[in-house]
Amino acid sequence: MGEIVRYKRDVWGEEVILGVSWDLLWVVAVAVLVLLAAHAIIMAALANKKMDKPSSEGRRVLRHETIDRLFHWVMAASILTLIATGVAPILGLRIAWLNIHWIAGLLLTFVVVFHIIRSLFWQDFKSMILGPKDFGEPFDSAQKPGKYTFEQKGMHWAVTVVVLAVIATGILLFLQIDSPFWDRTNSMAEDTLGLMFLLHGLSTLALVALAATHIYFALRPEKLFYTRSMVSGWISEDEMTANHDTSLWSPKEAD
Amino acid sequence: MPATSHDVMPDIELYQPTDEANALDLASTLGDDGWIVGGGQDTYGWLKDRNKSPAAMIEIAQIDAWKGVKETADGIEIGAVTTLTDIANHPLVQSKFGLLATAASKVASPQIRNVGTLGGNLNQDARCWYYRRGLDCYRAGGNICYADSPEGLNREHAIFGASRCVAVTPSDTAPALVALDATMVVASASGERLIPAQDFFVGPDRDIVNMTVLNEGEILTAVRLPNEWANAEFYFEKVADRNVWDFALVNVAAAIKVSGGSISDARIVCGAVECTPRRLEAVENAIRGQQRSEDLANQVAAMSTEGARPLNYNNFKVPLMENLVKRAIRG
Amino acid sequence: MAYMHIGKDFVPPDVPGKVTGRIKYAEDYARDGMVYARLLTSPVPHGRVVAIDSSEALAMDGVYGILTADDVYPDGEPQSPGLKVLTNEPTLMGEPILAVAAIDEKTAENAIAAISLTIERLPFVLDPLDSLQEGGANAYNGGNTFIFRQGFAEEKWTADQVESFKSGNEPTAEALQSWEYGDLQAGFDASDFVYETTFSTAGYPHMSMEPRSAMAYWENGKCFLHGTSQSLSAIAEPMAAIVGVPLEDFVFINEATGGGFGQRARAGSIPSMAIPAKLSLKINRPVMMRVSREEEFTIGGARQGLQGWIKVGFKSDGAMAAMDMYCISDNGGKGGGGDANSAAAGVSALYQTEAMRFRNTSIGTNTGHRGAQRGPGENQIMAVVAPIMDKAAEELGLDRLEIRKLNAAQNGDVSGPRSTPFTSAYMPEALQQGADQFDWEGKKGRSRQTNGSKVRGLGIGQGYHNAGRSGMDGIVRLMPNGRLQVHNGVGNLGTYSYASTSRAAAEVLKMDWENCDVVTGRTDRHLPITSPQDGSNSIFTNTRTCFGAAQDLLAKMKEIAAMDLGGDVADYDVDGSRVHQIADNTVGLTYAEVAQRGIELGGKFSGESDLPEELNTLTTLSVSRLAGSALMGVYHDPSHSDNPPGFTVTYTEIELDKETGKFEILDMVTIAECGTVVHPQGLANQLRGGAVWGIGLSALERHLYDPQNGLPASSGYWQSKIPTYLDTPAEIGTGWVDLPDPENPVGARGIGEPSMGAVSAALNAAISDALGGHLFDTAPVTTDMIINHIAGISEEAKPLAQNNFRG
Repeated sequence: MGEIVRYKRDVWGEEVILGVSWDLLWVVAVAVLVLLAAHAIIMAALANKKMDKPSSEGRRVLRHETIDRLFHWVMAASILTLIATGVAPILGLRIAWLNIHWIAGLLLTFVVVFHIIRSLFWQDFKSMILGPKDFGEPFDSAQKPGKYTFEQKGMHWAVTVVVLAVIATGILLFLQIDSPFWDRTNSMAEDTLGLMFLLHGLSTLALVALAATHIYFALRPEKLFYTRSMVSGWISEDEMTANHDTSLWSPKEAD
Repeated sequence: MPATSHDVMPDIELYQPTDEANALDLASTLGDDGWIVGGGQDTYGWLKDRNKSPAAMIEIAQIDAWKGVKETADGIEIGAVTTLTDIANHPLVQSKFGLLATAASKVASPQIRNVGTLGGNLNQDARCWYYRRGLDCYRAGGNICYADSPEGLNREHAIFGASRCVAVTPSDTAPALVALDATMVVASASGERLIPAQDFFVGPDRDIVNMTVLNEGEILTAVRLPNEWANAEFYFEKVADRNVWDFALVNVAAAIKVSGGSISDARIVCGAVECTPRRLEAVENAIRGQQRSEDLANQVAAMSTEGARPLNYNNFKVPLMENLVKRAIRG
Repeated sequence: MAYMHIGKDFVPPDVPGKVTGRIKYAEDYARDGMVYARLLTSPVPHGRVVAIDSSEALAMDGVYGILTADDVYPDGEPQSPGLKVLTNEPTLMGEPILAVAAIDEKTAENAIAAISLTIERLPFVLDPLDSLQEGGANAYNGGNTFIFRQGFAEEKWTADQVESFKSGNEPTAEALQSWEYGDLQAGFDASDFVYETTFSTAGYPHMSMEPRSAMAYWENGKCFLHGTSQSLSAIAEPMAAIVGVPLEDFVFINEATGGGFGQRARAGSIPSMAIPAKLSLKINRPVMMRVSREEEFTIGGARQGLQGWIKVGFKSDGAMAAMDMYCISDNGGKGGGGDANSAAAGVSALYQTEAMRFRNTSIGTNTGHRGAQRGPGENQIMAVVAPIMDKAAEELGLDRLEIRKLNAAQNGDVSGPRSTPFTSAYMPEALQQGADQFDWEGKKGRSRQTNGSKVRGLGIGQGYHNAGRSGMDGIVRLMPNGRLQVHNGVGNLGTYSYASTSRAAAEVLKMDWENCDVVTGRTDRHLPITSPQDGSNSIFTNTRTCFGAAQDLLAKMKEIAAMDLGGDVADYDVDGSRVHQIADNTVGLTYAEVAQRGIELGGKFSGESDLPEELNTLTTLSVSRLAGSALMGVYHDPSHSDNPPGFTVTYTEIELDKETGKFEILDMVTIAECGTVVHPQGLANQLRGGAVWGIGLSALERHLYDPQNGLPASSGYWQSKIPTYLDTPAEIGTGWVDLPDPENPVGARGIGEPSMGAVSAALNAAISDALGGHLFDTAPVTTDMIINHIAGISEEAKPLAQNNFRG
């Protein structure tokens, strides 16, 4: 299993946190693979119960506006870039990762801030809120969600927490190195620095797990229409009525 | 980590293979736990100060196959375990590749050159005094740089290519070999690969803990110099605080081919200004086709330091580097 | 005056051992059952040890014991400046906190790694001006300075005062120390050229080649300490006191020391030697404590850095009419050093300044322990003043040699705050002799001549140090076999003065050197007290004592001869093997016979009675142990008057490459003015050795401490850049004036320290000359400074920065 935290000695010989142990990357990778594979297998077994997929033909309703789809894919690209550039040195790949990493990080920060503001003032924020009632949804096939399912809300908020942690710690770490905007100051105490690295590392690992999970579910046959809606913007009326409570969510027709 | 105790070498398992296969096997088995040592002139400082503690050392100084200078079909091949003194004094090296002979003769001190090897000089670790003190900086696997701080003592450090770490390459032979278009012969238990000298060294942007691209289990066994640059007009100069037993503040290695009175091709490489030897391709391009002269040198010198980003105390490296490039072109 | 021995070369007794490697230094000794000690040192620049958990270490196989500050100071650590033996309140990084003894060094180091040290970090400061500034940290627990006889105190300036000083202005705060003489204002009023500047000279470590390792063991209540010291008999009593043992139960053994430059002469500078002694007592085994290079850097002492302001006025004829100097002296982590005072007094001596004001405040920093380093104050200030002399010469249209001759010290001159007369002084002769040997007239025209990127520079440097003490004791013995034994308490730090001063005794008795033995190397060979071997004093001080003791012996020999053979004492003389009647030299006794008679007669002849009243305790003890064994000469040297100076002059020519900032020393000549020369080869060694180090002071050496965390960079030989063979000229010409001084029986004065200062002065002057008269007002002047100056890059260093000098 290995350790969770790595330690080092600070400039005066005191032991302080260095960061997360990257053994955990393998732990997370393996765990995620195992769990998602298990899910896939179970789902395949349960597929004996023939469930008709709703038809994608017919009237289309708008699920995601263009600007929101753009935000999602830019965020996805920046997160994948962040993960790839962050993991590359750990794997021993000799690529110049740092500049791409912080540029992607700044891009992520920008779009996240944009999304927070837009979702608070221009979108239906309430549609994403998780309430006590939502927790019954997976167990009651009669209870249909509004725009977002329980799982979708759960994923959203989990990602929110983790991405905000990644961004906050990432910015703090970015302030510690030279950049085109400033020179490093070495003003953060080494134990605090180590803690920031640890938190950044832990939230990164969580993000890897969440991203893998999110991509898995996005590619699942029964969810694929959601993924299509994030590309093209629409789902069919059939898909909508099959999965959502139209009294809670009544989208307009898609162009 | 900075040892709470400094001094007195710790216990280490010492292996002294006498043939290549044995050595490569050991390197493969021990991996990162096996510290390769030639003459030990870089190694023993680390060990004595208790700032690095390998479990095992593989001493390759007794492997004759990796020693000596021999002529090949298209150049010469120098065993990586050849001492710097032997290289500096070797007739073949002196007659065809005087640049390397001169560079090797400027390394450290006579005592160190007598046991120090070419491979060791090329693979030597950075000399940043914070790092050498055993601090857990980026290069040591840590998360901070002490030298590149608002008041850091970084007089000997880099003016190019900094990426969190600002250490420089301390080697005198490395710039010479890059200028001579050398090829590094790297062996491991699974075979051999050839790496151009320029690609052998790696900066902190791509690998912040290593100075070269050697992987676990690999050993630099030889350096091949192609006849391409044999008997070119050479210039090597090392400027250091002391005239012996000191690391370069800046050094320059140049190989210039002149035909019909003008420069047909050139290689100009500076050391101690970046974590890797810095090849000055813009300057090389600018002087091609021109005549070697003071005027030419003065015209292009400033190109060599474009993009330099000095730190707290190494501003002087900019004019020094320009002057050395001038001198290399002037001859 | 023609001497038999004085002024002639000989092979000092330690030379064969040094050439063959058989001579033993402290680290070369071993005893049965000996164990090895290693030190745990402070990881922080300023701290307080809260807890030490050594249980794991003590439980390790092969670990014999541990010595802590509590063991050494059961009643609490002394709250005074100076190195402690061990401490729980470190004020410099690397200061020894405890020692562990184990079966071998590796085990000792492993044990140290197993000790858990909890240390509270306290604010630290690395630059005196940072501490001086209001709100700045204090290096010591009681403040940032120490006032003699009062204790630790805090001295602060306002931020404006510090800023103004850094901007180049005369400090406005009152200094803690000052003196003046003459009419300063009148001096400046009479000056045609006035130069005013702030300046800084770097502190840097001694880095003696031999670290201060020591080995100790106890036998029947007596402590035997094999140590390393510049001094021998001078260190016995104070070292015994630190170890905590009566003088008569203490033996200090030190046949040779590998380099001592002022911080290895007195017990207070080497308290670490008590560690193996105390640890040995505690664990009942001989203990060898080897000190590493890094530890030697920390506790081995360093030169005081000076941050100063100076204003010098010259009359139209070049006479130095006035000098006003204000210094902030860096006292380092343990206090200590009087460099600034000596600097001012040194200028007064060398340049005969008509009016002078000296002011100084010493401030502590958490950096290397400071104390005297070869020519403390004098040597570094001359590197600043020599270029100023040249600037004055240039402005006043004078030759650079002539301006120095005009100001040179000669017989009858005085110097310093108390206008002390020199015992003798021949500076003009030294200047001229050097000029002739160097060919100043022929070469001076080459000043600033260019050749491609290279430019020539010439410099004249002068060095000075007070070079003699008195009031010490001498012991000689004429043995029953006719041999002369000279008991010499002078330590052997490589100057051979233990042997050359003994030659004065042989001289008195006209004895062939082969019939003489120098008895020294360990205090249980019964040695007389002498002054510590610092301050360039030994030649003067100990030719007096050896000469005096031999004269006492001579008088007794004549008295015995007169007693036995008739006549008066005045009727007798010696010829090297017999004491005989002058009128009839067949009447006499051999040296062996007169020695035997002395033993028979006893009393004053064999050291059993009628000893000089003022004999030191150690000498009395030594004589008592020798009494009855030989015909003895015992002597207490009365004090001399006035100041016996050591003077040097150096001429040098360099070629500086303006493209690389490097220079080559083409030619260097150093002349000594040190009275009669006792040992020419020894003197030449001193001049050349001093030159090597002068090159370091001038161009290479400085402390480096990282400002953000207090780590020392210069704890090894890479960043402590002592000059190498290729940094020094292959040939350094030497010469000496060789005119006798009246206050010494053979006319000799000392020279060790100025031999360094004159070279630094000459070199800095030459560098300035090569750069068109640009004054850096700093020492060292390093390669990067020269490059920056030529390239017009404004100084990166903070003005007057100490201890992070152009890192």
